[in-house]
Amino acid sequence: MKQKRSLLVILAVVAILGATWSHVLLTTPPQKTLDQEVQDVGSQLKCLVCQGESVADSPALLAQQMRAVIRQQLQSGKSEQDVIQYFQARYGDKILFAPPQRGFDLLAWLVPVAMLLAGALLLFFVVRDWHTSSRGGAEQEDSDLTGVDEAEMERYRRQLEQELADDDPLFAQSTIEEAG
Amino acid sequence: MHFSDLGSISLILALGFAILTMVVAVLGATRNIPQLVASARRCVLVVAFFLVLASASLIASFLTHDFGLTYVAQHSSLSMPWYYTTAAFYGGQEGSLLYWAMMLSVFSVIFVFTSRRAPAMLVPYVTATLMGIEAFFLLMLTTISSPFVRLPVPLPDGVGLNPLLMDPGMLIHPPTLLMGYMSFSLPFAFAVAAMITGKLDSDWLRSIRRWTLAAWSIQTAGLVLGAWWAYHVLGWGGYWGWDPVENAALFPWLTSTAFLHSAMVQERRGMLKVWNLGLVIASFALSIFGTFEVRSGLISSVHSFAYSAIGGYFLGFLCIVVVFSTGLFIYRLPRLRPEHEFESVVSREGSFLLNNLLLVGITFATLWGTLFPLISQALSRQTQTVGPPFYNSVDGPLFIALVLAMGIGPLLAWRRTSTRTLWRNIGIPALAAAACAAILPLAGIRDIWPNIAFAVCAFTAGAILYEIWRGVRVRHSHGEPYPLAIYMLIHRYRQRYGGYIVHLGLVMLAVGVIGSHFFQAQASATLRPGQEIDIAGYKLVYFGNIAQQYPNVVVETAQLQVWSDGQLQEYIYPGREFYANYSNQPSSLIPITTFGLTDLYVFLDNWNGPAQATFDVFVNPLVPLVWYGALLMLLGGITCWWPEKRRRRIDRSLSPEDIPVTVGARAELSREDTLVVAGRASVIQGTGTQAVAGLTSQAEESDSEVRDLPIGEEGAIT
Repeated sequence: MKQKRSLLVILAVVAILGATWSHVLLTTPPQKTLDQEVQDVGSQLKCLVCQGESVADSPALLAQQMRAVIRQQLQSGKSEQDVIQYFQARYGDKILFAPPQRGFDLLAWLVPVAMLLAGALLLFFVVRDWHTSSRGGAEQEDSDLTGVDEAEMERYRRQLEQELADDDPLFAQSTIEEAG
Repeated sequence: MHFSDLGSISLILALGFAILTMVVAVLGATRNIPQLVASARRCVLVVAFFLVLASASLIASFLTHDFGLTYVAQHSSLSMPWYYTTAAFYGGQEGSLLYWAMMLSVFSVIFVFTSRRAPAMLVPYVTATLMGIEAFFLLMLTTISSPFVRLPVPLPDGVGLNPLLMDPGMLIHPPTLLMGYMSFSLPFAFAVAAMITGKLDSDWLRSIRRWTLAAWSIQTAGLVLGAWWAYHVLGWGGYWGWDPVENAALFPWLTSTAFLHSAMVQERRGMLKVWNLGLVIASFALSIFGTFEVRSGLISSVHSFAYSAIGGYFLGFLCIVVVFSTGLFIYRLPRLRPEHEFESVVSREGSFLLNNLLLVGITFATLWGTLFPLISQALSRQTQTVGPPFYNSVDGPLFIALVLAMGIGPLLAWRRTSTRTLWRNIGIPALAAAACAAILPLAGIRDIWPNIAFAVCAFTAGAILYEIWRGVRVRHSHGEPYPLAIYMLIHRYRQRYGGYIVHLGLVMLAVGVIGSHFFQAQASATLRPGQEIDIAGYKLVYFGNIAQQYPNVVVETAQLQVWSDGQLQEYIYPGREFYANYSNQPSSLIPITTFGLTDLYVFLDNWNGPAQATFDVFVNPLVPLVWYGALLMLLGGITCWWPEKRRRRIDRSLSPEDIPVTVGARAELSREDTLVVAGRASVIQGTGTQAVAGLTSQAEESDSEVRDLPIGEEGAIT
C-alpha cells in the first residue's frame, strides 16, 4: 500500500517535470537584447592593453572601441560566433579570453578532465581493493565484540548511559521516564 | 634614534631567538630534556615580543610621519587620515611580510598557551617547525625586504597610498587574508611533528583539525572580504574574476576544506591517514606558492603588486618545504596503515571520498588554468590567456557536483547504507529539487544550466534542513520547545550541526553566484541631462555632473534618479576620485542599491563637462545572498571551532596500546531507540574503552543501522 503510494508520487513528479520541460524546450527561447549579446561576446575577448580583463569589463579606451565594433557588427546581423571569429582573424588566438579548443591549447581543457577521470579511476580501484580485503576484516571486528562477556557489556552500557545522561538532560529525562 | 632603529634591532633579535628556539626545542625533544622544551616555549614568547615591538615601531613611524623611512614615504602621506596611515603598515610588500611574521608569532604564542591540550610529544617539534617558518620570514625581513630602510635625506611628504587601497575594505581584507595564509602554518607544523614522532593518533587529529578549522574560517573570511571589496570598488559589476591572485587564495581553502572532511573519516574509521597528511602539507605549500606567485609577477594579474626578487626566495622556501615534507612522508609511510576497511561506496565515507575527489579536482583544474599561460609560453612559444570563460566551464560543473555531494553525504550512514533507508531519506530533498525544476522554468528561467544548478541547490538545502528538522522534532517530542530544541541540538553536537550551517551557507552562496552569473543584466549609455536608461524594470534619469575640489583630491560625481515600479526610489551619485599623486588612477564611487535580493550597480565610466556622462549599469540578481551565505558559513565555522566546556578530566596518560579492550563502532544498546558508536574514551575499573556515544532517538531509526549519530565532541570527552 505504502509502496504503491510512493510510486504514484514519483510518477506524478515525473509527469509534471516532463510537462514543464517539454513546454520549455518546445517554445522558442526569448531573444537576447543587444546589450546582452555585446556583453556575451565582450566577455569572451581579452582586452589586449589590460592585465587580465575582458573587453566587456575593461574601462580602457581600446575596450570601449572594441565594444562599439562588436555592437555595430551584431546590429548588421552577424552572429556572436562570427564576431568572435572576426576578432580572432585580426588579432590571432591571443585575443581569446579562454584557450581555443584545438592544437596545443586543447591541452588546457583536456588535462583537468583527464586528471579527474584518473582520480575517479584510482578511487574506484582503491575502494574495490579495500572492499575485497574487508571481507575477513568485518568478521574479525564482530568477534572482537563477542569476546566481551555479557556482564562486562552491561557495565559498559550503564557507564555509557550515565555519561550520556550527564551530557544531555534530555537523555537523562528519557532514561528516568523509561525506568518509571 | 628613530622608531625604525628600534624596529631593525627587534627584527634581528627576533631572528636570533627564532633560530635559538628551533635548536633548543629539537635538542630538548631528541635528548629528552624537559627543561629545554620549556625554555623553547618561553623563547616563543620572546620572538613574539620582538615582532610585536617591530610592528609597533613601524606603526609609530607611520603615525609620526617619519618620511626618512623609505617604506613610510612610499606608502603614506600627510593628508591621509590616521586609519589609512595605520593600515599602510601592510600596504606594501615589506610591511605585509612583517605582518605575516608578527601574526605567526602571535599564533605560536596561542599554541604555546594551549599546548597542554596537544599531545606533549608533539609540542617541541610543532614549536620548532613554526619557528623555522618564522626564521625564513625574519631572514627576508632583516636582509632583502626590510621595512626599516632609511633614506639619506628625509622627504617633506610621502607619496601616499594607492587610491584603490583607500577604502574601508583595506582595513579588513588584507589583514584577514594574510592571516589566513599564515594560519596554514599551524596544521603544517602539526603534520611535520606527527611525521617526525610517528604519533598520528586521535589526539593529534583533534589538535590539527581545530587549527585547520581556524585557518579555514579565517581564509573564508579573507576570500569573501576580497570579493566584497572588489565588488564595491572595481566597477565591472562582479566580485570574482578568476584572477591568478584570487585563485592563489582559493587553493589552500579548497585543500583544507577537503582535509576537514577526510579527517572525519580518519577520526571515525581510522582510514585515509596518508591522504590527510598530504592534504595538510599541500595546503601549506599552496599558501606559500600563492605568496610566491603574487610577489614574483610570474603571471600577469589585475592586482598590481610591487614585484621584486623576493619571489625567488619564496620559490626556494617552497622547494625546501616540499622536499622536506615529502622526505618525512616517505619515511613514515610504513606506519600509516588504515585501521578499518572500507565496506561500501554507498556510505558516509564514500561521500567524503567523492567530496575529496571533487575538491582536489577543482584545485587541480584551477591550478592548471593559472599555470597554463606559463606552460604554453614554454612549450608553444605563445602565451595563451586563461580567463573566466575557462574556469566557468571547467570548475562550474564541478562545484555543482560538490553541492550535490554535500546534500547526499548527510543522508548516508557510516559504513554502509541500506537501499531502503537511502530512499526514505532522499524523498523530501528530491521533492524539493523536483519542485524547483518544475516551478523555475514556468517562472521564466529557460536556460538548462541555471535550472539544473538551482535544482541541485534545492536538493541540498532540502536535505540539510530535513536533517536538522528531524533532530529538532525528536527533541521537541521529548518536551523541549522548538527554539530550545534547535539551540540544544546545535549546542550538543556542535561539529555536526556547525557543519550543516556551513553547508547551508555555501548553498546560499551558490544560489547567489548562479543568479548573478546567469541573470546579470548590463547596459551602457552616454546620456545628456534629462535622458534615461531603462534596464530590467529600473529606470535611471540623468541630471548632470558635480565637480568638487578638496585639498588633495578632486571628486567628479554624476547625479541620477532611480525609479522602479513608477516610483522614485532615491538619488544616486556614481563618481570618480582623483588623488594628487595618483591622478592617472582614479578610484571609483559606485552606488549599489539593493532592492530585495537584487543589486542595482552603477558605474560612472566617462564624462564630458557638466552635462554628459557615460554609465555602465548592472542589475545583479541574488548577489546579496553571496554575502549572507558567507556570513552563515563563518558562523558555522565558528560553531564547529568553538571550544566546549571541559567538564570531566580523564587520565590521558593511557596510550591506546595500554587499553586492552576496544569496544567497536557498533555497540548497540538494548533500548530500541538508542544507538551508540565508538570514539569516546572512558576508563572503567582500569579497563579502557573507546567509544563516542551519541543519541538518536525516534523509533523509526530502529533498523539496526549505524547512522545519524551525533558525535560527542572533544570537550565532553576529556
